[in-house]
Amino acid sequence: MRVALMRFSQDFALGLFFMVVGIVAGVIALGYPIGTPGRMGPGFFPLAISALLTLTGLGALLRARRAGSLPIEAVEWRPVFIVPVVVVVFGLLIERLGLPLAVFVLIVGTASASVRFEIDLKAAAGAAVFSAICALLFVKLLGLPIPMAGSWLPDFG
Amino acid sequence: MEIFNGLMLGLSTATTLSNFAYCFFGVLLGTAVGVLPGLGPIATISMLLPFTFGLPVDTALIMLAGIFYGSQYGGSTTAILMNLPGEASSVVTTLDGHEMAKQGKAGRALAAAAIGSFFAGTVGTLFIAVAAPLLAGLALTFGPTEYFSLIVLGLVTSMVLTSGSLLTAFGMALLGMLFGMVGTDINSGFSRYTFGSPNLLDGLDFVVIATGVFGLGDVLANLQNEHARAAGVAGVSRLFPTREDWRRMTAPILRGTGVGVVLGILPGAGVLLASFSSYALEKKISRRPHEFGKGAIEGVAAPEAANNAAAQTCFIPMLTLGLPGTATMALMIGALVVQGVQPGPEMLTQQPALFWGLVVSMWIGNLLLLVLNLPLVGMWAKLISVPYRFLFPLICVFTAIGVYSINNNVFDVYLMALFGVMGFFFRKVGAEPAPLILALILGPMAEEYLRRTLLISHGDATVFFTSPVSLGILVVTVLLLLSILSPNFRKVREEGLQEAD
Repeated sequence: MRVALMRFSQDFALGLFFMVVGIVAGVIALGYPIGTPGRMGPGFFPLAISALLTLTGLGALLRARRAGSLPIEAVEWRPVFIVPVVVVVFGLLIERLGLPLAVFVLIVGTASASVRFEIDLKAAAGAAVFSAICALLFVKLLGLPIPMAGSWLPDFG
Repeated sequence: MEIFNGLMLGLSTATTLSNFAYCFFGVLLGTAVGVLPGLGPIATISMLLPFTFGLPVDTALIMLAGIFYGSQYGGSTTAILMNLPGEASSVVTTLDGHEMAKQGKAGRALAAAAIGSFFAGTVGTLFIAVAAPLLAGLALTFGPTEYFSLIVLGLVTSMVLTSGSLLTAFGMALLGMLFGMVGTDINSGFSRYTFGSPNLLDGLDFVVIATGVFGLGDVLANLQNEHARAAGVAGVSRLFPTREDWRRMTAPILRGTGVGVVLGILPGAGVLLASFSSYALEKKISRRPHEFGKGAIEGVAAPEAANNAAAQTCFIPMLTLGLPGTATMALMIGALVVQGVQPGPEMLTQQPALFWGLVVSMWIGNLLLLVLNLPLVGMWAKLISVPYRFLFPLICVFTAIGVYSINNNVFDVYLMALFGVMGFFFRKVGAEPAPLILALILGPMAEEYLRRTLLISHGDATVFFTSPVSLGILVVTVLLLLSILSPNFRKVREEGLQEAD
């Protein structure tokens, strides 16, 4: 699943990122009261920082045109996609299913991002045991206010 | 006498049974997580933060200090046994430490690191006890002008001392400042960059961002080349240094401590600078410089001592000025704020038990490290060899639960996922995130102090050059920036920092 990105250099990608963030943040800051240097409004500092960031991004873009700017290595997209999505799913589930089940989903889900992932009963049992330990540790022992069984499982709560 | 009383007060705070026990747990947990390859101190501390949430403030602080030292030392262990530095400042340790491990002297290298660290930690703690009250007194005379200049110095230092280009580091610092602007502006009550979301009104939680960029970002980066990760762990044999080792490492430890204590106070990246400088110093004055890089025990003992002394004294700017010197310190400030403690010059006078308790528990933490690590080194070596495919799902679990438990808000979990991807992007384009993390804390402070300065001077920016303290700080800043143009410094920086990735 190694997809070679277009031949972007590191400087190009970063410069573009800086410029886009700088311009967007700068335009938004223009909508805030700017004030004067002696009496700075809430927009003064963000505007100054955004302007500097845009210029820095421009500098990086110019540098990217020079020879010798390092190319970005090929990206393995699978984990970059799976892991954050599973973390978001964990966020969706934690208050609905409760800690142990949400942790179980998180472990199995993120593990599937590894190239060496395979369905394995022993590993699944391990994940289940670890989820139970987490629940005991964080909820019972440390007393964090996280539900053991969430709103989707009213009968167990 | 005041210091003596302070230390006694600290001793009575830190040695209550529960505080001592939590310091012990902190050190144990910090080391256990810190030795795991690919987890630097920032990721380690942010993962372990929820363990401190339910505790009273002093206990939580003491446990945090334990976690901090444990994670530092755990990083050295991984550096020596596996040649994998957990953070930039343990890169130097890998040079000779891993060489020694390959020659079957891993135990002696670890002992040298532990003994050097303990001695340096002791001196560093004493130094804090003496210098912090003085500096806190001085800090009370500082106005917004001086603070602003100090922040500029801190940001510039962190930019100069990161790998990659200065331009990139500058951009990362600006980006961090912008992220720091999110939320309600304290002066006007105006909401900035909140996009109408109530979750953003309080700003981006620092711990959430740090956990995303460092914790999750590292996981994503490590999953890129899983096949290449089958690094071997060196076996640990004889643990005690020989008489010859003692003779060779005593003076380097003393010198390393001196270098570390002084450089650690510098805002920016004093810890990193300390370990590099002390290594360079030892190599220069050694009678056998050819042995460096091939397993010289001096090359392990001195930078480890410097590293730890600086790790200790970098608490000084944080405790007395409220300004973090390093990204890790910024995280510690974030953790303190979660506990409702605002570090700064008032902390010493208003919460003396807390301040001195922390100072004494630093020393106890160092002592525990010495007695804990050497006997348990076999266990740490086993932990290191856990395959990454079993490890990273657990890292995800701890980071996710940790982030959720800060505010019991799932929004933070989503935010962490987003910043995890961003952290991965930064790694791919060769931008080190340390300046961003530091600027996230320093940015809002910079705005506040700049505002106050210019309000007092009616918009006249020349005050930064007419206040002698501020002028002095800015001169140092400019010298630092110029130093990067010097070919000599440039070479050292490139050689040293390149490997840090």
